[in-house]
Amino acid sequence: MIDAISIALIIVGALFFLAGSAGVLRFPDVYTRLHALTKADNLGLGFVVLGLSLRADSWVVVLKMLIIWALVIVAGATAGHLVAEAARTSHVVPWRRRS
Amino acid sequence: MPTRELASRIDRIVQLLQRVVIFAVLWWVIAEADPDGWLFGVPFVALAVVASLGLTPSRTWRIDPPGALKYAWYFVTQSFLGGIDVALRAIRPSLPLDPMIVRYRMRLAPEHARVLFADTVSLLPGTLSTGFEDDSLTLHVLDCELPIEQSLRDVEERVAGVFGLTLSSEGGDLRVCETLTGDECE
Repeated sequence: MIDAISIALIIVGALFFLAGSAGVLRFPDVYTRLHALTKADNLGLGFVVLGLSLRADSWVVVLKMLIIWALVIVAGATAGHLVAEAARTSHVVPWRRRS
Repeated sequence: MPTRELASRIDRIVQLLQRVVIFAVLWWVIAEADPDGWLFGVPFVALAVVASLGLTPSRTWRIDPPGALKYAWYFVTQSFLGGIDVALRAIRPSLPLDPMIVRYRMRLAPEHARVLFADTVSLLPGTLSTGFEDDSLTLHVLDCELPIEQSLRDVEERVAGVFGLTLSSEGGDLRVCETLTGDECE
């Protein structure tokens, strides 16, 4: 039973990684792609960490994965901000939908 | 030795020890308590402490535990919604994007609170922070239909709660910008 829940969570996580990658390929400019990378991948990693935690041998391993998740969230959000700021200060024009 | 100098020296030692302990515990968990891990751990803990003292020499904030818990719950639910929102936009054939640039006047003053605010905003549905200018944060928004002004104000209140801060009565409003770097905002 626990194995089934764990596998389901990991698959959901993988689907978010897939959707994030689809966003990086399909979205039109650097800014929109950063949205896909930072948000979808963090959530995907969260589901993978939850799924793996159910199968972990000890609490230290669970704690380790939670810390890695937290560090990835902080690093991802900060890196996204810096890439967007670099693009903005070098005058990369954001894509707009024609109306 | 004058007492003020002594106090500042004690403060610096406390800051140093706090950071050594924090980074050592982080390493200890990541190395899964393996004693061989310290061969790499000791130099990297030392580098992390040096970098951290270089970047933020003295910690001037305090964390309010109930506020931090409220923030954590809000963050988990909102970043969940943020991930689902962008994932659906990425896989829907119609690619529902209608981006705009906005400038939000922050009611938070301290730098550490602004950094937490900017990082949080980037993980919520449809908003990405792209840099500070004076008291404003410039944001890229995925879809101009999203009710972002209210959510930005909510995030700001929760970030203020983490550090036990009161928000300024000025600001908390949003302007839509024509360009990213210019001042042509409505």
